[in-house]
Amino acid sequence: MLLEQVRHGETVLEARGITKRFPGVVANDGIHFEIRAGEIHAILGENGAGKTTLMNILFGLYQPDEGEIWIGGQQVKFRSPLDAIDLGIGMVHQNRRLVSAHSALENIILGHPKAGKILDLKRAEAEIGELCERYGFSVDLKAKVWQLAEGEKQVVEILKALYRGAKILILDEPTSALAPPETKKLLSSIQAMTQDELAIVPFITHKLPIVLAVSDRVTVLRQGKVTARLQTEGATEQSLAKEMVGREVIFRLERVKAEKGQPILQVEDLSAASDKGYLALKGVSFSICEGEIFGIAGISGNGQHELAEVLAGLRKAEAGTVWLDGTDITRASALERWRRGMGYVPAERVDVGSIGDFSLVENVTMNYYFDEDYCRGGVVRYRGIRRLTKEIVSEYSVATTGPDSKAKTLSGGNLQKLILGRVLSRKPRLLIANLPTQGLDVGATEFVRNKLIEAKKQKAGILLLSEDLDEILSLSDWVAPIYEGELMGIIPGEEARRDIVGALMAGSVTGGAAR
Amino acid sequence: MRLGRYELKLEKRLTVSGWEAASISILAILFALALFSIIFVLAGINPLLAYREILSYAFANPFGLPPTINRFIFLLLCSFAFIIPFRAGLWNIGMAGQFYVGALAAFGVLYAFGGKVSRSADLPAEIVIPLMLLGAAVGGGVLGGIAGFLRGKLNINEIVVTMMLNFIAYWLVALMIKEGGAFMNPGGRGESFELPASVHAPLVSNVPFTLLLALGFAIYLYFLFARTKIGYQIRAHGLSPAAAQYAGVSTVKISILVFVVGGALAGMAGYHYFAAVPGVYKIARNYGYFGDLAFYGIICGLISLANPLAAIPVALLFAGLTVGGRFVQGQLSIGFGVDYALLGVLMITLVAFQFFYRYRLVLAKGPELEETVDVGVFR
Repeated sequence: MLLEQVRHGETVLEARGITKRFPGVVANDGIHFEIRAGEIHAILGENGAGKTTLMNILFGLYQPDEGEIWIGGQQVKFRSPLDAIDLGIGMVHQNRRLVSAHSALENIILGHPKAGKILDLKRAEAEIGELCERYGFSVDLKAKVWQLAEGEKQVVEILKALYRGAKILILDEPTSALAPPETKKLLSSIQAMTQDELAIVPFITHKLPIVLAVSDRVTVLRQGKVTARLQTEGATEQSLAKEMVGREVIFRLERVKAEKGQPILQVEDLSAASDKGYLALKGVSFSICEGEIFGIAGISGNGQHELAEVLAGLRKAEAGTVWLDGTDITRASALERWRRGMGYVPAERVDVGSIGDFSLVENVTMNYYFDEDYCRGGVVRYRGIRRLTKEIVSEYSVATTGPDSKAKTLSGGNLQKLILGRVLSRKPRLLIANLPTQGLDVGATEFVRNKLIEAKKQKAGILLLSEDLDEILSLSDWVAPIYEGELMGIIPGEEARRDIVGALMAGSVTGGAAR
Repeated sequence: MRLGRYELKLEKRLTVSGWEAASISILAILFALALFSIIFVLAGINPLLAYREILSYAFANPFGLPPTINRFIFLLLCSFAFIIPFRAGLWNIGMAGQFYVGALAAFGVLYAFGGKVSRSADLPAEIVIPLMLLGAAVGGGVLGGIAGFLRGKLNINEIVVTMMLNFIAYWLVALMIKEGGAFMNPGGRGESFELPASVHAPLVSNVPFTLLLALGFAIYLYFLFARTKIGYQIRAHGLSPAAAQYAGVSTVKISILVFVVGGALAGMAGYHYFAAVPGVYKIARNYGYFGDLAFYGIICGLISLANPLAAIPVALLFAGLTVGGRFVQGQLSIGFGVDYALLGVLMITLVAFQFFYRYRLVLAKGPELEETVDVGVFR
């Protein structure tokens, strides 16, 4: 181990001229940076900037085509992640790599050399408990992973890396799935780790305020190259976004006051079960009028997914009633809801919102094959849909080689633009948008939000479900925090305060009393 | 792999065009024939001679060609029975059972019209023949529909259901045509009563009209998948049931539909083989042999990448090889079943060659001369 003893500020990891090419793309182009012990060094970049490739190279999953990696003053070569782990690199993936049927403890010691053939769970538990205490983690080590919340799973991954002896901790989008209080706790834990001379390297796409709050230095990537290396002190949200995107980005969206119109959607006492069978949505009631954005703020897994699906006709309502324009649609099929003017942008844009092996034209057909203007006598008018696809591609600036290329060739942001464009092209009366900007880069996020505002101006009612509190607060006419399947209140947009909504979506009842 | 200054590399490919797929299949067939010639050599037979005999008997012999065509019609219908559910993401392994029940239903219609009484019974062909065909379609469709309903409504695995129904249908045929069965041949012999000459299926230049039916289905199904709303719903469901449901496609309806239609086509194969092929005109004692052959609909469907038009040449080749293989086995006194052995080798090779749908072999100059080209997606 090269990093046995490190002094504060000493360079622990250095990347020199890392270049990685894929067919048709230079994903990393001569990337150079160094990480010092005891610092938080954020790597910032939009989707497609080369962050994932770089991360995979640092963790030994890819070999760089050119360039060197130095650890503790020695050049190293990773043949596999095992080499990287042995040299003190720990990785916390965004898509958790845990065995969900095993306990947190079992996951942490899985693959640990000390575990050997016979497990000494008692000793491991004591050692891991010490780590928890030291850095302020609270997680039930005996709980099965599937029972844990997203934030707790992340803690398990961090503990796993630390227990393995990581001195350099790479965090992939560490706060993307966390509620504000969880984020706060994580940040203080991270700061405690830097006291012990660990180097923390978060890779971040959005959530610039977090970067500003905790990091010491920032390296910005754009199109595979390092475009900026700077001290966080003195940087602003604006300046970082400009480096990432390459142009000025407007953060504050003007809240548009639309004329209050007729109620479109009315929901009363609606309940729905999750896939596992327990009641995930417990009797929510609200209504949405024309030209209104109704924002539901919540951390994933609090029933908003079930709410979106039950409204879209993809999940059975266990109880309650839904009216669309005064018609009871509680038991209507998904198809009938589309026909009645409901539009749904699902959170799972790859698995549900699109079909990867279909062309863009065929993907647009998903919302048009039943439309009489595009299907006569059972024969689909692909020529018309093709024209429509071209319009969507140009209006939403979807980067693609053409309407006949497959949807799986699109990046996440472009796919989302296509789906949103397709759904909005139907001019829906009611739009359900579940996590519409999740995982999108700054530029695409701005675009999607502007399109939502545009739809609102055209008198659509919009149900916006998001984990991003800033998004909810800046767009919504009504803010409803959701916690464990219940709405914790319905607050007018201009009165909604960040701290109160944040507390409510974390289940705090005192926050509820304050409304 | 290095070859002098050149390097042979495997490269991942993202898409396969229709022509590339076709050439991969042809290469695979040639490779399989080359491979199988080793077996001929080991048996002391000149493989070129054997292949010439097989092909010339199957496709250019007045005695060989008719059975090839009849088997081709049968295989094509069974391929469709596989392809239609497959395009919806579902596996029909039950073409054998649907084929049996189709045949039974066709003979049931005949029985109802008193066809069992005598071979010379004078029945109204213009009524009985369409009804027999319809009966076969309904019979196969109902059996398929059971699997489709169970899958769509209760999410019960369709492979298991269709496979189990095969056994039930197999013994149902035995029950009906063997000792004491309603369709038993008056002379016993473990086969059904014979079709009266008045309702023999019409022949078009010596080939049953079912050929036109099968080819018509190929064109119709191609159009169905490419252009129609139903075809779109089936394809969407096949690639992603979740996305199809999002778009308003009903899994229940699609599952039932594809299995009913697929089963109906396999049922028509039952009509074709036992009521339209000259010289058969009864549910034969060795009906199980044809049931086994029906499974080759799966292979034909897979090789043609579930394209109904591409299934035509594939089914024709398989039909010719089995007919010619059986012939050459007798002709050259070969001590093993050439037809099934050949099909087996062909199958394995074709499956192995699917590798090239995802990878291609590239012959590149040595790395020192290699240049990476930036197409510049991000530039």
